[in-house]
Amino acid sequence: MTINDLNTILPLVVLAGWSVVVLLADLWIPKDRKGWTAALSAVGLVVVLGLTLARGGTVQKAFFGTVLVDGFALYLDIIFLVGGLAGIALAYDYLKRMELERGEYYPLLLIAISGMMLMTYANDLIIVFLALELLSLPLYIMAGFARFNLQSEEAALKYFLLGSFASGLVLYGVALLFGASGHTDLPGLVNTMRAGTGNQALFLFGAALLLVGFSFKTGIVPFHMWMPDVYQGAPSPATAFMSVGAKAAGFAALMRVFVTVFPSLSDDLTPILWALAAITMVVGNVLAISQKNIKRLLAYSSIAQSGYLLMAFVPYANAEVSSDSIAAMLFYLLAYTLTTFGAWAVIIQMEQQERRGLEVADYAGLGKRHPWLGLAMTIFMLSFTGVPLTLGFWGKFYLFSTAVEGGFVGLALIGLLTSVVSAFYYLRVVVVMYMQPGDPPVKQNRWVNLTALLAAAVVVGLAFIPGSVLDLALQAVLQLQ
Amino acid sequence: MLVEYIPLLIIFLLAFFVALVVQGLGAGFGPRRPTERKGQPYESGMVPYGPGTRRISVRYYLVAVLFILFDIEAIFILPWAVVYRDLGVSGLVLMIVFIFILEAAFVYAWKKGALEWE
Amino acid sequence: MSGMQIVFLVAAAITLVSAVLVVTLRRTMSSALLLVLTLLGVSVLFVLLQAQFFAVVQVLIYIGAVATLILFVVMLTRSVMDTSEPQVHKNWWLAALVSLVVFVALVVTLSSWQAFPQVQRAIPADSGENLAALGKALVDPNGFALPFEVASILLVATMIGAVYIASERKGEE
Repeated sequence: MTINDLNTILPLVVLAGWSVVVLLADLWIPKDRKGWTAALSAVGLVVVLGLTLARGGTVQKAFFGTVLVDGFALYLDIIFLVGGLAGIALAYDYLKRMELERGEYYPLLLIAISGMMLMTYANDLIIVFLALELLSLPLYIMAGFARFNLQSEEAALKYFLLGSFASGLVLYGVALLFGASGHTDLPGLVNTMRAGTGNQALFLFGAALLLVGFSFKTGIVPFHMWMPDVYQGAPSPATAFMSVGAKAAGFAALMRVFVTVFPSLSDDLTPILWALAAITMVVGNVLAISQKNIKRLLAYSSIAQSGYLLMAFVPYANAEVSSDSIAAMLFYLLAYTLTTFGAWAVIIQMEQQERRGLEVADYAGLGKRHPWLGLAMTIFMLSFTGVPLTLGFWGKFYLFSTAVEGGFVGLALIGLLTSVVSAFYYLRVVVVMYMQPGDPPVKQNRWVNLTALLAAAVVVGLAFIPGSVLDLALQAVLQLQ
Repeated sequence: MLVEYIPLLIIFLLAFFVALVVQGLGAGFGPRRPTERKGQPYESGMVPYGPGTRRISVRYYLVAVLFILFDIEAIFILPWAVVYRDLGVSGLVLMIVFIFILEAAFVYAWKKGALEWE
Repeated sequence: MSGMQIVFLVAAAITLVSAVLVVTLRRTMSSALLLVLTLLGVSVLFVLLQAQFFAVVQVLIYIGAVATLILFVVMLTRSVMDTSEPQVHKNWWLAALVSLVVFVALVVTLSSWQAFPQVQRAIPADSGENLAALGKALVDPNGFALPFEVASILLVATMIGAVYIASERKGEE
């Protein structure tokens, strides 16, 4: 073990080590002081964020090339670490209110983030699989964190069963790719692909299995069935965290593996990706219309967002547009992350004991009684829809324009039309908030408030400088290839 | 190379046949006059009560899970131990880190009372 | 037919038949016991692949620990499977069809692939060497040192989950 190897993945080492330290420290923190555990975890995340930023996006390999740190990893790591901080801010008060306050939540969160970071570094399919497990296992437990609530138990069980099924598919895909080439490392796979010594049919099988496995994780139709139940049943902060983390990590793995290894399979894969993206956008948005529960509504919305993200992935093999479209995807991921955490922050303040306050109808009067929260929620709904002056607009704008650039006008049209459809259910929340009378009870907490308002401010603020954000994403992609 | 496994096969076959012989002798030569009382489950002489498929305590599950985890740890140590003299300090340090991380989990389980039976 | 082929065919047949029985039998207890047989068959396959260590792991971990855990879980849960309920999903034939197509496609692919034997790496004949190589690779930074350490964190997460989910309800119920 050279120090260089460790130094390259230092943020990950520190984070994983810190999760163990927090786990141990929590054992001696008294029951009514669990705020300390949350604070300790947050401090760890801030330190790791500092280390990540300090290291920057220079390309470094370690551990015999099985991990690769570059701008792409840097960009996503920042999303995950900030997401982790938001996850802690959302969870602390909620867990206390719902009488779920157990210190394990925070080490689990840290371990999940370690898995996501490892996923962004992965340059070897074995690491991809391990990272997938490392991020999924804590999420299964977090989904079932409200142990004696039947819905939460159901969510954990469903998520676990389908998640392990998906892991099995990924593992089978890895095995077939290894069989086809004798390699699990991405450079080795690339070389066999180029030299043509591997078996093309087996490569295609392996790629398809990887795609299906990660589609489960990211909630792409027709592999989305678990999402509404899991999103609804899991404790809200856990849902918020998994809807961002698991999705971004899944797409990170898909991007890294497909863009580097499988460009030559694009003749077969592009039509499949096209169909998956189209059907995901349509199904997610159409099913969301009839939802009355806000958590289910956001679950279907999240499925639809997966479709938009996948859209950027369709021209992945076309070297001229792929870097643009993947930068658009990274941009969209940022917008999605901020908007999602903000929206869940509002939902968490609205949620009452026994899962009351989760219907869309419960939001009546929020806009008048709590103008700031109402305004923030309005911004998030507009950003999800893709209305100008929000980050979501630019996200969709870049996505659709790169799709057109890549020659997929039909897909961009479907995206545009489904966005119009989505306005119907997103704006319904806004209409209920402002047009209907009511006095919803809101459990204010400064950290949750801070998350909501900060997210809203950033969603609007960054919308004025989309170019510089896109530049960051483009730099990240340039280092990917 | 399969020759190495012949002793194992012999043990398997022997176990199978011993079981067959024991069951067969009883079934073939023993008298068989079933009555209702004899057909009842045997509970050390007591009159049986309750359903036969009672649920067992969840603690068994916990013990079994902890056993699996430490079993896996032991399996990781085994191939390392075979060659640890050749591995030098770095091999030792890596294994110590591995074990310490798992010890943290052990301390956690201990402190949470997972090892207590009450 | 060589002795190895015969052993392979017998082991594979036992593995497959018991695996099918695991999912088709109604009594969960019988399924759990047949799972043990399936795992035993897999360990024989490991032996045939010269992976003696993994054969031992298969017996120690999967049969000795995992199958035991599954037996405990079967005894933990009430038997929820009512005999009047249908055992298969109404779309089971679709799943069977997809599996069959994938299976046939894989078999055709592999059997028509000329270079298949060359891709297989030379298997070291001596099992002791195998084990030593594995031990070295586990803590070799150029081998599997990183996955090895990550595995320990993974085990920690598993432990937290098991203890958290199975710990007793205190003051509730």
